[in-house]
Amino acid sequence: MDYLVAVLLPQLLHGLVFGAALGLLALGLTVIFGLLGVMNFAHGELYMLGAYAGIAMVGLTHSFWAALVVAPLAVGAIGAVTEVATLRPLYRREPLYGLILTFGLALVFREGVRQIWGGDMRRILPPFTGSTPLLGMTYPNYRLFLLGASSLLLLAIWLFFTKTRAGVLVRAAVQDAEMLDGLGVNVPRVFTLTFAGSAALAALAGLLLAPVFTVYPQMGVEMILLAFIVVILGGMGSMGGSVVAAFVIGLAQSLLTLWMNPQRVAIAIFGIMIVVLIIRPRGFFGREGVLE
Amino acid sequence: MSRALTWRSCVVFAALAALPLVPGIPKYYLLLAFDALLFGAIAMSLDLLIGYTGLVSFGHAAFYGLGAYATAVLLERGILSLWACLAFAILVVGLYALVIGYFATARRGIYFALLTLIFAEVVYTFFRYTQTFGGSDGIQGLPDAVVLPGIAIDTPVRKYYLVWVYLVLAYAVCRVLVTSHFGRVLVAIRENEDRARFLGYNVQRYKMAVCMLSALLTGLAGAIYPIRAAFATPDLMLWTESGEFIISVMIGGLGTLVGPILGGVFFTLLRDKVSSYVDWYFIVIGVVLVVIVLFLPKGLLGLRRVFRFGRWRATA
Repeated sequence: MDYLVAVLLPQLLHGLVFGAALGLLALGLTVIFGLLGVMNFAHGELYMLGAYAGIAMVGLTHSFWAALVVAPLAVGAIGAVTEVATLRPLYRREPLYGLILTFGLALVFREGVRQIWGGDMRRILPPFTGSTPLLGMTYPNYRLFLLGASSLLLLAIWLFFTKTRAGVLVRAAVQDAEMLDGLGVNVPRVFTLTFAGSAALAALAGLLLAPVFTVYPQMGVEMILLAFIVVILGGMGSMGGSVVAAFVIGLAQSLLTLWMNPQRVAIAIFGIMIVVLIIRPRGFFGREGVLE
Repeated sequence: MSRALTWRSCVVFAALAALPLVPGIPKYYLLLAFDALLFGAIAMSLDLLIGYTGLVSFGHAAFYGLGAYATAVLLERGILSLWACLAFAILVVGLYALVIGYFATARRGIYFALLTLIFAEVVYTFFRYTQTFGGSDGIQGLPDAVVLPGIAIDTPVRKYYLVWVYLVLAYAVCRVLVTSHFGRVLVAIRENEDRARFLGYNVQRYKMAVCMLSALLTGLAGAIYPIRAAFATPDLMLWTESGEFIISVMIGGLGTLVGPILGGVFFTLLRDKVSSYVDWYFIVIGVVLVVIVLFLPKGLLGLRRVFRFGRWRATA
């Protein structure tokens, strides 16, 4: 019982927190992939840019909350400019080019950040400290906030896609962009705004996790690999699948660290993916013929 | 052979063979040429997959690194024969490629890219944290390999000729392959996989075969690397390395074989030159990549058409 409360429960909560943040990242990836047919290699860098934009804002205003508003907007703007300038000319080309283009963009972003802020590990102080007694243990307030904030965000995204006209338009564009164009919707604008939105979500995830993790230029690389695994596991193009898979991977990651050293955990997660792909080649919710 | 080596490629290879004969050429440039040709050869074998079959492998660094470790492990234990190293590399890389190929070729497009990437990360993580193979330091300070007892590959000139022979043979194999019936089927798969299947071709078997071949050629290139560098580190398997192979293919021009060799050489020289002046060479490389994707989708070889067009206009 002591073990349960003192060890298992905190790891479980850590896993949920991490899973929710991973879900924000993977959702953006899935939507961009469904919409533009591009697997965005620079998504991890947008996540990283969010954390660094946060550092810059905290330095400027000394307020985490101001950073939480401004950083995603700034990264969203960067995303919009990137989409218009580099991805838009590639719409009619093979997906391969998008993949390689975003790989190049990732190099530029990562090295750019290293030039501006240096390659050292940095931290952002959490906006509040202390911890709350919870189910017989104490849990840091900031992590509780993280869990609440990311769950709310996921809920808001779900409402956006199901209840608002804009969300329905995005889903329609995923289904059949040409038809939507024929119906008089400005599809390129939908693409750009969606890309900007995904970038802002990635940035938000990066900034929210920054007080818990460390901030360094390579931080996106590790996340993007996990996010790729999540997208594959969830089923390509399935938003719900991405979220479910994100929680599975988040929980697996944090629970496995109880019994293994981190590098074994990494290998174990790859193992999970391989086993799932043998049993269900299209992931949890992937359907045959969708986005193949 | 006539199909494999046209007079033009013979001239180029002969010119490359003559490089060490340039009087007073510094060792540094010979070794740089080694790296450039090796990178070119890897890009060429990757082109079989990307350019001809339409499968983007983001995991070629694993084949490369496994080949390098195969050689390094043997050299470290005092087995100095080049042939033993190459055979061992073929065995190791072949086994790994069988597994990867089986899973990855069952899927298309983006799945193939991501699966190869993730498998390669498993291999990287394994070598990075396994102390038997030196962990993150890798295996360092290897002795020189020998071709025959008494003939060691110890000078830059000999190392250079080793990679030269490898490049010529690999080019011949690839060229014969892509001009053969097999190569035509690969292109058919790239153009329309379903149609190739309806025509009665066992598409997955073809994809598997080209995957194996590309992996083995890359693995052999990896096996040669420690003979020049005297080390093998897990960084050889990092996914950014795979990215650099793809960049080389793109810079040169997809589906041309010669283009990727050029691209690999260009990329190696660019990296060497730029990194000796500035420490932000990744920005330069990233920008070069973006510019090529946007404005030169056929790569450097695509420039040929521009020039030819110019000549045609001049005579008309």
